[in-house]
Amino acid sequence: MSEETQDSGARRSKSEAQEEARAEDLASQAREEPAEGSKGLPLDGVRVVDVGNFIAGPYAASILSEFGAEVYKVEYPIAGDPLRALGTPSRRADSTLFWLSEARNRKSVTINLRQPTGAKLFRKLVAKCDVLVESFRPGTMESWGVGWDTLSKDNPGLVMLRVTGYGQTGPFKNHRGFAHLAHAFGGLSYLCGFPGQTPTIPGPNPLADYMVSLYGAIGIMLALRYRDQTGRGQYIDIGTYEAVFRQLDELPTAYGVHGKIREREGSGTIIACPHGHFRTKDDKWVAIACTNDKMFARLAEDAMQRPELAAEASFGLKHKRLAARTEVDRIVADWTASLTRDELMEKCLAAQVPIGALNSIADIFADPHYQAREDLVTIDDPDVGEITVPGVFPKLSETPGRIEHLGPPLGNMTDKVLGELLGLTNAELAEFHKNHVI
Amino acid sequence: MAVQPKQKEKVDARGDSKSATEPRLPLSGIRVIDVATFIAAPYAAGILGEFGADVLKVEHPFGGDPCRNFGTATKRGDTLAWLSEARNKKSVTLDLRTPDGAEIFKKLVTKSDVLCENFRPGTLEKWGLGWEVMHELNPGLIMLRISGYGQSGPYRDRPGFARIAHAVGGLAYLAGMPRETPVTPGSTTLGDYLTGLYGAIGILLALRYKDKTGKGQYIDAALYESIFRLSDEMAPAYAAYGTVRERTGPHNPIACPLGHFRTKDDKWVAFACTTDKLFEALAEAMDRPELASNALYGRHQKRLESRHDVNDVVSAWCGSLTREEVEAKCYATGAPYAPLDNIADIFANRQFHARRNLVAVDDPDLGDTLIVPCSLPRLSETPGEINSLGPALGQHTDEVLEGLLGMSPSEIKRLHDGRVI
Repeated sequence: MSEETQDSGARRSKSEAQEEARAEDLASQAREEPAEGSKGLPLDGVRVVDVGNFIAGPYAASILSEFGAEVYKVEYPIAGDPLRALGTPSRRADSTLFWLSEARNRKSVTINLRQPTGAKLFRKLVAKCDVLVESFRPGTMESWGVGWDTLSKDNPGLVMLRVTGYGQTGPFKNHRGFAHLAHAFGGLSYLCGFPGQTPTIPGPNPLADYMVSLYGAIGIMLALRYRDQTGRGQYIDIGTYEAVFRQLDELPTAYGVHGKIREREGSGTIIACPHGHFRTKDDKWVAIACTNDKMFARLAEDAMQRPELAAEASFGLKHKRLAARTEVDRIVADWTASLTRDELMEKCLAAQVPIGALNSIADIFADPHYQAREDLVTIDDPDVGEITVPGVFPKLSETPGRIEHLGPPLGNMTDKVLGELLGLTNAELAEFHKNHVI
Repeated sequence: MAVQPKQKEKVDARGDSKSATEPRLPLSGIRVIDVATFIAAPYAAGILGEFGADVLKVEHPFGGDPCRNFGTATKRGDTLAWLSEARNKKSVTLDLRTPDGAEIFKKLVTKSDVLCENFRPGTLEKWGLGWEVMHELNPGLIMLRISGYGQSGPYRDRPGFARIAHAVGGLAYLAGMPRETPVTPGSTTLGDYLTGLYGAIGILLALRYKDKTGKGQYIDAALYESIFRLSDEMAPAYAAYGTVRERTGPHNPIACPLGHFRTKDDKWVAFACTTDKLFEALAEAMDRPELASNALYGRHQKRLESRHDVNDVVSAWCGSLTREEVEAKCYATGAPYAPLDNIADIFANRQFHARRNLVAVDDPDLGDTLIVPCSLPRLSETPGEINSLGPALGQHTDEVLEGLLGMSPSEIKRLHDGRVI
């Protein structure tokens, strides 16, 4: 593709300020050129402003930062991102463990968008950046004079990720959105729990916030690619519930065709058996997943030493097992209860039966596979000491991501970023501090 | 059944305003080989397909991708999950275990940008088609490798499914009632989709790096890692304080009320009062503003201490009204409410309609229209497209071998006869 010619064509139409910014960008990229031997990262030179709160949206910016982008976390001057107060406290007053882990690699810049002066400053900052991530309710940024129309006029190549509970459009767009509500609205919570009983939450984690951010990161990467080819930016509009709903395999299609409503299926599934969770003698749990007759035969014959179970007349065929799900599950449960988890795992793995320990976080820390894959990374931070966090995913062979530092103190880079990038003088910075603009 | 949106996702008509040399979609001109099965890596390829990539699904000539048998069958034989998730793909049959098949596969990969696979580690190597070989043939190649446990580590050879990944990654342990049997965290395929998303991110990052340097690379994604990554502060909290999170049933103990409640008409609703202000909005919806007073449950800490009482009050209120009534009152005061919907509710939901989350796509083979979930995420300038549903097995074999590899009809016939394709 003729990237260069298209790029310059699009650039010509931009304002002088843009040209200036571009020149500075190139200069800063040159400064940041990787040292000899270092390979650089896919997003080196890309600047991201993350003005979102909590996880939905900001996690997309984290992924970009892990792969080379420079991320400015723009926060409200007094309290900052409410994620700073969510979860377990750390040694630093303005940062919980949750914040330290998930605000990794950021530079904190305080700007009060509710003040016109702050909004103006924000526009200048965004004009020098490639990507903006936000998660306010629809219309909020517009009410501060920093909506898409304004920002994209300032910076026609801007890519803006807009994450909300329900998206930017539709009758529910202004409703409150939290992961817990998105699990319910997106159809996941209904499926979680035992038939006829109260639906349980699909784990006390903000799953949906992470899910929607993964889609956000994909959207940003697609839009950056398109911008590099055409010079044109765009925005990405996604509702948290949509990310949940998209991951439910044939649920919508089967309802559309057959009017089939899937119900809660407890610890198993109605499409395979045995396929669920089983307790062991030492009061731990495992997951076993026999998706076909061959796997069940290996379970019955090799692992359980009960070949008669795999006979065609007995439970050798899938439809028979499904028809007698409760009984098959009970037979397997009786067997698993007679062995410790270690014994059970050994027998099943030797027989090539798909089995996994149902890990608590304590189990995970003790697991040799997690250690071998370096899934847990310990960072020594001068302020807060050693903190162990999940590593970088996915793992790329040539350009693996990085965690340079944990979530920053509030406003730790305000003066540096506004001074160096926007050319604010010390006097101006002092004035803005005094007026709580920054 | 609810009224269904009938609009088919249209090919973006705004091409006119763009110059002829500009790509129509971000991945126009990118060719992807998807030799994977079921959902995980194929979903990554599916996303690339929605945004312009040409995706060739390489399948075993007899049976094809087992996803064709996963779930509810259609008249055509292939299941609904296949038709929905193999959207936009072209099916090319090839037996990689035969020397001819392996040769043709190499030629296809040489002409492509991305290869997606999710065999157990070592399988492609066994057939002489591993990363080293492919990388040498095509140094710019990007290869997505998804497996249960990744390409390294002591468990790499173990069989892995999403069910196992939910367990190993720490999610299954958290779903269900305290001390009772852990339940499926809603769906048995979450881990597949999530890993597909990480895979797509990895591919897009690698494509960018390749554009800058010419160098390809592989992405090593494990199902359990995608699950583990979503565990918020569990890892740092365990490392610092030994905190082990347990199952918490229908409620999340970090706030109150933050859980599920039954209504008079035997439906379910969810509330998430994460702040005092939001609880105030709920108390107002309940027409019991005094509940949010300082003397009662106005403060977060007080609500946590009296969680059973608070949940009882909210339960009693929900139980006295239909869901529609609860909804109207909550929306009126801005209480943090959502209906806990089954798929029938979702088909009737106005927000899903307004956002076109359900897309009707005609399938000429089926002679019918299927409702499938729309492309995500939604890009303002270059929205994703669903141009066709999952193809019939081998539907595009001849076309691709002839058009892309320049093979003659007689060669192709020989391969058919030899059951290579």
